[in-house]
Amino acid sequence: MPIQYYIALSVCLFCIGIVGVLTRRNVIIIFMCIELMLNSVNLLLVAFSKMYNAPAFAANPASTVGIDGQLFVFFIMVVAAAEVSVGLAIIVMMYRNTHSIDVNFLNRLKN
Amino acid sequence: MNNLVYLIPLFPLAGFLINGLFRKSLNKPLIGIIGSGAILASFVVSLVLFFQVKSNGALPVEALFSFINVHDFKIDFAFQVDQLSSIFLLIITGIGFLIHVYSTSYMHDEPTEHFGRYFAYLNLFVFSMLLLVMGANFVIMFIGWEGVGLCSYLLIGFWFKNNNYNYAAKKAFVMNRIGDLGFLLAVFWLLAKVGTVNYHDVFTAESLAKLTPTDITAITLLLFVGAAGKSAQIPLYTWLPDAMAGPTPVSALIHAATMVTAGIYMIARSNVLYSLAHVTQNVIAIIGIATALLAATIALKQNDIKKVLAYSTVSQLGYMFLGLGVGAYTGAVFHVMTHAFFKALLFLGAGSVIHAAGGEQDIRKMGGLKKYMPYTHLTFLVGCIAIAGMPPFSGFFSKDEILAAAYARSPILWGLGVLGAAMTAFYMFRLYATTFLGSFRGTHDQEHHLHESPAAMTIPLVVLAFLSVIGGAVGVPEALHGHHELHHFLSPVLTTEVAPELGHSTEYGLMAVSVVLALAALLFALNKFSKKPELGEPTGFGKVLANKWYIDELYDAVIVNPLLKFADFLKNVVEKSGIDGIVNGVGRFVQYLSRQLRLLQSGQVGNYILFMVLSIVVLFLVFWNQAIILQFLQKVF
Amino acid sequence: MNAIILSAVWGVIMMFSSILFKNKGAFKYIAAIGLIVLTVANIANTYGCDFFNINTHEMLRYTRFGLFFNTIAFLCTLIYVLLSGKEIEKHGNYVAEYYALIFFVLCGVSILTSFNNLLMLFLGIEILSIPLYILTGSDKRNLKGNEAALKYFLMGSFSTGLMLMGIALIYGGTGSFQIDVVRSATLFGTFSGISFLEVAGLLFMLVAMAFKVSAAPFHFWTPDVYDGAPTVFTSFMATVVKAAAFIAFIKLFEVRIADTSAVINWGMLLSLLIIATLLIGNITAVFQQSVKRMLAYSSIAQAGFMLFAVFSLNDFAKEGLILYAVAYSLATIGSFAILAKMKDITFEGFNGLAKSHPVLAATNTIFLLSLAGIPLTAGFFAKYYMLASVVKTGHYLWLVILGVLFAAVSVYYYFRVIQAMYFKEGDAQAEDVTPGFKIGLIIVAALIILVGIYPQVVLNWLYF
Repeated sequence: MPIQYYIALSVCLFCIGIVGVLTRRNVIIIFMCIELMLNSVNLLLVAFSKMYNAPAFAANPASTVGIDGQLFVFFIMVVAAAEVSVGLAIIVMMYRNTHSIDVNFLNRLKN
Repeated sequence: MNNLVYLIPLFPLAGFLINGLFRKSLNKPLIGIIGSGAILASFVVSLVLFFQVKSNGALPVEALFSFINVHDFKIDFAFQVDQLSSIFLLIITGIGFLIHVYSTSYMHDEPTEHFGRYFAYLNLFVFSMLLLVMGANFVIMFIGWEGVGLCSYLLIGFWFKNNNYNYAAKKAFVMNRIGDLGFLLAVFWLLAKVGTVNYHDVFTAESLAKLTPTDITAITLLLFVGAAGKSAQIPLYTWLPDAMAGPTPVSALIHAATMVTAGIYMIARSNVLYSLAHVTQNVIAIIGIATALLAATIALKQNDIKKVLAYSTVSQLGYMFLGLGVGAYTGAVFHVMTHAFFKALLFLGAGSVIHAAGGEQDIRKMGGLKKYMPYTHLTFLVGCIAIAGMPPFSGFFSKDEILAAAYARSPILWGLGVLGAAMTAFYMFRLYATTFLGSFRGTHDQEHHLHESPAAMTIPLVVLAFLSVIGGAVGVPEALHGHHELHHFLSPVLTTEVAPELGHSTEYGLMAVSVVLALAALLFALNKFSKKPELGEPTGFGKVLANKWYIDELYDAVIVNPLLKFADFLKNVVEKSGIDGIVNGVGRFVQYLSRQLRLLQSGQVGNYILFMVLSIVVLFLVFWNQAIILQFLQKVF
Repeated sequence: MNAIILSAVWGVIMMFSSILFKNKGAFKYIAAIGLIVLTVANIANTYGCDFFNINTHEMLRYTRFGLFFNTIAFLCTLIYVLLSGKEIEKHGNYVAEYYALIFFVLCGVSILTSFNNLLMLFLGIEILSIPLYILTGSDKRNLKGNEAALKYFLMGSFSTGLMLMGIALIYGGTGSFQIDVVRSATLFGTFSGISFLEVAGLLFMLVAMAFKVSAAPFHFWTPDVYDGAPTVFTSFMATVVKAAAFIAFIKLFEVRIADTSAVINWGMLLSLLIIATLLIGNITAVFQQSVKRMLAYSSIAQAGFMLFAVFSLNDFAKEGLILYAVAYSLATIGSFAILAKMKDITFEGFNGLAKSHPVLAATNTIFLLSLAGIPLTAGFFAKYYMLASVVKTGHYLWLVILGVLFAAVSVYYYFRVIQAMYFKEGDAQAEDVTPGFKIGLIIVAALIILVGIYPQVVLNWLYF
């Protein structure tokens, strides 16, 4: 399959993520949408990695060309996990104080 | 031995610093001793240097440090003591010292703090004047020039609680500043054309060759503007009579030893330039004689003892400028010297009278002081005779020399000069007769208070009187079988001096005419005012004279008031509605913008992210269409 | 490598020290020792002594510029810890952990100053950001703190998503994460000879970095987070962290944009960002009632000035950025340290401070003057270098004029504080001001004036 399809797919996922962040008010769902954005990037990276690897692979099956794209994906996963742990903690803290997970509920800081 | 030079200004500076900084912790006798001692020390050094100069010629220029040093342009902080400056040094420190001594007694009633302030100012004044005279270039002279202006401001306004005095001080300062501007422009012009301001370098044929006749005329005229400001010539003379607001010894200092002689010194110093500018010379001569006559006429009708003396100073300064204008530089310097003697004497005498009369300055309320104050009376009389130009008192020789030189230039100048001399004799003896002769016209209390002044005041009077009598001996003209030692002494500096080529018989004739006229005026005044002083308000033309030809009013109407109106317009109309409006408008606009912009910060995360996403879209659009946008912008601008 | 590894290790040490020491006051000194060790190790690294010789395959590259910034960051943090240590202790029972988080942030800073690979940039940014989310929400009972943490976290993660998209696109366009790799313009169409994907990626990166340095219109998190977070941590976020983000910004774009600028006009986008940042930062600050929020907006305005360095990308800009980092960090740390001691953080709260605490008022005046860029303070030269760097490029001179105009506006709100301190009647109250605190403030103020008179004192370190 041409690379354009993969790009289109991940851009679609990315946009869905952004729209989700913009439209939802539940913090957890916003958070999931952000994760969706990250995962669309993961998909894109893997696709590019494979794209760069393919010609080299044909010549030499042990080639590592383009392998760094896939490695990056792991780092994104790790960092996302770290972020999730902190983010969920913040959401829990907010829920304890306000008994709400509506993103617009807390609105003291403005202007 | 030459390094003594820097000591001369150092002593007064030290005196200024000590008296100025510690005036609260010192006591009065100590302040007086420090103040007077500093000047005495300078005087002694000046005397030593004078004899060195007399025997060995001018001392080499002494550079203390490099004052301004930019690229190839260099101005040293240098002192030059030659024949001309050594004479002035003696006058300044000698008479300055006597005035200091006199002041210790005269100012004794001031609180210690103000007493210290007074002496600090006085020392600073002398210091500035010494800088002015000793500087080896125009820039150092200008420092002294400004310092003198500042000190006159401080001293005229010494009693700063009286607003009129402050006004007088301000007036003196402003008038001086106008003159200073001329001086400064001249120095810049000189720098631009010649590239140096050192006297030694400027007054050489090589430097003068760089100047066109127009340059020289312009420079000399601008310098003369400066001199007119400092030395109170038309049209900048009105500050000097008002400067009487200061304590009387200060007036003596300003009028005799320092300040007003600065202009004469500067022109005598630049005589090389002036001799090349005939236009300027004529202007100076005409302004000089006009000032002499104008001031003399005003002096005829003044009733304030100090005002009379003040106008007489203006008038005498006019004579000096007449001398400068006709090329009799020695005569002018000579007159500076003799005038310093008798004018200091007269002012200090007047101070003594005022002191005795309990602050009264109106001569109509005096009279008959002869029997109360014998020393003051006698010395004052000597001063009057000297200023009236009676031989063999000092004033005769110097005035006569100027008049002779004027005659050589133009008999009309001489005629006007003699007329002025006669008026001088008249008003001085009017003053003398009204003050000392007749009977006392003040209140009974004042009469009871009358007394001779203490020794600290009378001794300087006696010394000055002695000098006024014999001071002319250094300049006895050859016609009277003298050698005119001053002329020979000064000739290395005043190289362009033109000696009037008059036969001895002509000179005798000129002298006789002026002496006889002055004597007649003198006797007439003495006769008229000793019996029946003029006590009423003046009428007719006398009123015009009493009101000083309404010159002050004229200046107010022509210059001051339009300026004030213009300033008023700028302040009330242009600034209030124009500039303030713009400034406040900007301020209000920013505040308005601030109120609107902060609404963007809605506090809702959703909104924030929406704004960010929209911004990203806009950025992408701008980026991909930047060529079109650039074209559009180029069309618009 | 010294700085990265030691800061991470010392962060762990801080965590364990909470078990070993029960006395809250001790942590401040352990942290201070750690910072001194870090500084020394980093200086050793600067002069060629690397303790950990690890082959990073060019993913990290140490430059004089980056290492010197590390030193500045560590020293500023040291000053911050010494000045505001007391305030950190007041914030609950997890003092050691707060310090540990600060050390992890410094680890992120060290990575950001030496990255040569987009992966390292991403990791640096995340290592820098995640501890900050926690510090922002460290005051768990405070609703404002909760709100700030939530907003910061959501928007921060969102910007991470944007950045990752950018990285992925750049990778797609060039086939490598190294920032100085030669680009292949063959794939997926071209934009003036450069891969379309790469350009799109760079745009995403620009947005993400603009978010991190709080450049408008991606600044929205800044006022709320700075306002809501505990004042001590705001101080840290607004100074060291922000300056580090700028270093990363300029490092990234100096290679990527500078190469492409010949064919693409990045100036227009950047000048748009600069105008928006200066406008919003300065103008909105005028209306604020709380000094803390005013300082938050003013930090946006300062970011606008620092963006000039990214705009001009020459040596002058880099020197200026270092100078700006020093000037801005010192002044802001000092100013926030005083703010943290104040009972009332509105403008009225400062009324009459000069009478009750003359030292605080005087030093605060110097800090504010420096922020406003008044001559004889470090801030003046910082701003001067920034504007001069743009002048050197020879284009966009109107940007300089705009910068000067906005600097004039900034004087208004900084002087409002000075006016309140000196010319208004009131009883401003500051809590437990110790002599040591005052001495610290005076030293910081003296440093600001020293740099303001003789900026080479800082800049010479870049070269010798």
